[in-house]
Amino acid sequence: MDLELNEDQQMLVDSVERLAAPYAELSIDRRRGYHCYSAGLFAELDDAGFLDIAKTEGYSALEAALMVERLSRLPVTIEMGASSVVAPMLVNDVLPRPLVLISGDIASPQRFLPQAKAALAIYEDNVVFIEIDPSNIEVVDSILAYPYGKFISTPDLSKCSVLDNCSPQAFLTWGRIALAVEGCGTVRAAIDFTVDYVKQRRLFGKALGSFQAVQHRLAQCHTLSEGATMLAFHAAATGDPLLASLAASNVQMHIAKVAFDLHQFNGGMGMTNEHTLHFWTMRLRGLQSEFGGASKASMDAAELMWPEDSKPPMFN
Amino acid sequence: MEFGWSESQIAYRKQVQLVLEQELPDNWYPDYTHGVGSEKQIDFSRIFCAKLAEKGLLVSNWPVEYGGNDGDPWEQFILAEEMKLNGEPRGPQYMNVNWLGPTLMKYGSAEQQAKHLPPIAAGNVIWCQGYSEPSAGTDLAALQTKAVREGDKYIINGSKIWTSYAYKADWCFLLARTGSAKKDISIFLTPMTAEGINVVPMPGLVENGHLHEVFFTDVEIPVDARVGGEGKAWEIITYALSHERVGIPRYHLGRKVVNHVMAKLKSEGRSNDPGVKVAAARIVAKFEAARMLTYKVVGERAKNLPPSVNANMARLAAAEPSVDLLNFIMEHCPDALTGEDPYLETYIRSNLSSSIAAGAYEVQLNLVAQRALELPRE
Repeated sequence: MDLELNEDQQMLVDSVERLAAPYAELSIDRRRGYHCYSAGLFAELDDAGFLDIAKTEGYSALEAALMVERLSRLPVTIEMGASSVVAPMLVNDVLPRPLVLISGDIASPQRFLPQAKAALAIYEDNVVFIEIDPSNIEVVDSILAYPYGKFISTPDLSKCSVLDNCSPQAFLTWGRIALAVEGCGTVRAAIDFTVDYVKQRRLFGKALGSFQAVQHRLAQCHTLSEGATMLAFHAAATGDPLLASLAASNVQMHIAKVAFDLHQFNGGMGMTNEHTLHFWTMRLRGLQSEFGGASKASMDAAELMWPEDSKPPMFN
Repeated sequence: MEFGWSESQIAYRKQVQLVLEQELPDNWYPDYTHGVGSEKQIDFSRIFCAKLAEKGLLVSNWPVEYGGNDGDPWEQFILAEEMKLNGEPRGPQYMNVNWLGPTLMKYGSAEQQAKHLPPIAAGNVIWCQGYSEPSAGTDLAALQTKAVREGDKYIINGSKIWTSYAYKADWCFLLARTGSAKKDISIFLTPMTAEGINVVPMPGLVENGHLHEVFFTDVEIPVDARVGGEGKAWEIITYALSHERVGIPRYHLGRKVVNHVMAKLKSEGRSNDPGVKVAAARIVAKFEAARMLTYKVVGERAKNLPPSVNANMARLAAAEPSVDLLNFIMEHCPDALTGEDPYLETYIRSNLSSSIAAGAYEVQLNLVAQRALELPRE
């Protein structure tokens, strides 16, 4: 048990951050939109082999999760959870990417569908592979800070190829792990951004961040974020379905508080796109419903902990 | 970063579990488990801790010179998890292992170490903590109990409150004012048998044995019972508190209590309710996050790093689901507090103060805001 990064993990994180550094600042023009997808960053990560880190000798899904958490802190977004955390744990082959995970109704708008080359979905007792025809994708406008698209003609899942030896449970487990680490990195960045802001913003003659009402809520957000992140990494290190459900449930339930508090402290500025807070908070809003949201993740965790046919001990 | 237990850690946990299996009386639940401060449990702790000590499990992580085995620092925490899970049969002696011993090892004189560490390592001494006063709880530095030096002794006058285990304690880790500046405070290792000490129990919401007033009237304490320099308590207390804050693995017991509630609801045909299941699982998710933050602190200790703000965060993270669980119980098992479920009643009564004792929740928030986020004071 050691919850600090080891030397190799630190080197990996440092390398990822170096590669991502040019993408950490957005020009005013790029801030005006509701999302900022970076095909350039995705290509750089792909070329450097980072998207295959989970299958690289000496590394595992945990290192892929560490990478996703760090990259999720950027104001730009890319698809990486499905490609670097989920797909390598489901199949041996490298799947076409960017890759979309269909976690709900396939007819609904999906994150990253306008960029995706393929998608995975659950059909009956299988996980199926959907090749994406770009001409069948319609871009969906949204203030959620991911690119969204939907199928013009919904694919017939019964005719899609089935992934061998891949269970819907594994799809769900790794999907939730990827969701959890992505959510945690996004929460982290939104908190850091807000902490910087409240140190500078002054009202009633002093820094906004010096008011105890603000300090306490930010300290709560910070604590929730740190705990959720370690739990998500624990899930990534084990691939355990229960931990995956708990990790997703944890981060998804905390989004409600974190997004509310951070917008409160950024006030009217946070309502403007130039301020960039929305690149994180409105991504979090998008993640709230994935894989059924916090309630479904909690339900699934409950089914694993307290199945109806079991009898856990009582102590009275 | 890795999340596995080593073979020796797994073996240590199994040894502890075996002792629990062998040494806890058949009527442990519910006869003994009316709180760590109950007379029955404190008396039993002297027998049980002595057994743990005999088997080299009580302070295995301590240095050999202090009665330990130079073991893995994680062992103390594995022990704490197993003990907490099983009604804490160490009674108040959990404090000895968690923070008293380590504090004396770091700040005590050679004589103090020689006098106090062996009984702690042998598992047969009860301590209480003389910190809080009626006007100095969260603002500990406001304490008024005075220690006035007269030659080679101090004369102590004042009173303490909320002093757990005082009625059965052999010794008190006592804070007293030795000067007029706010932090002119010193620590005295005070025998509870000293003339002039009067312990008065106070009825309260937490289990009996926890709440006392302790009055000190012209109590004479030799100078060599002072820990560290005069007026130097603050650094020592900070060190002790950082150990105390994560000393109790509330997440571990919390999961067991959630299981207990779910089993109870199931036996009554009430568990198959999405509202119940979602609420219960959310509590578990928070406990698991708290577990991770606690393990982070233990990992820091294992590497001999100085106390960090992670201890404050670990405490915050464990307090929230503890309160959620209390609410969950009261919503679904209200009969817990009307005599129908002693196990839950003990849990509730020992957790009512979980966000107050050992540094209030709000104080932890202040510390996280200042030390982790570096938010401005003005």
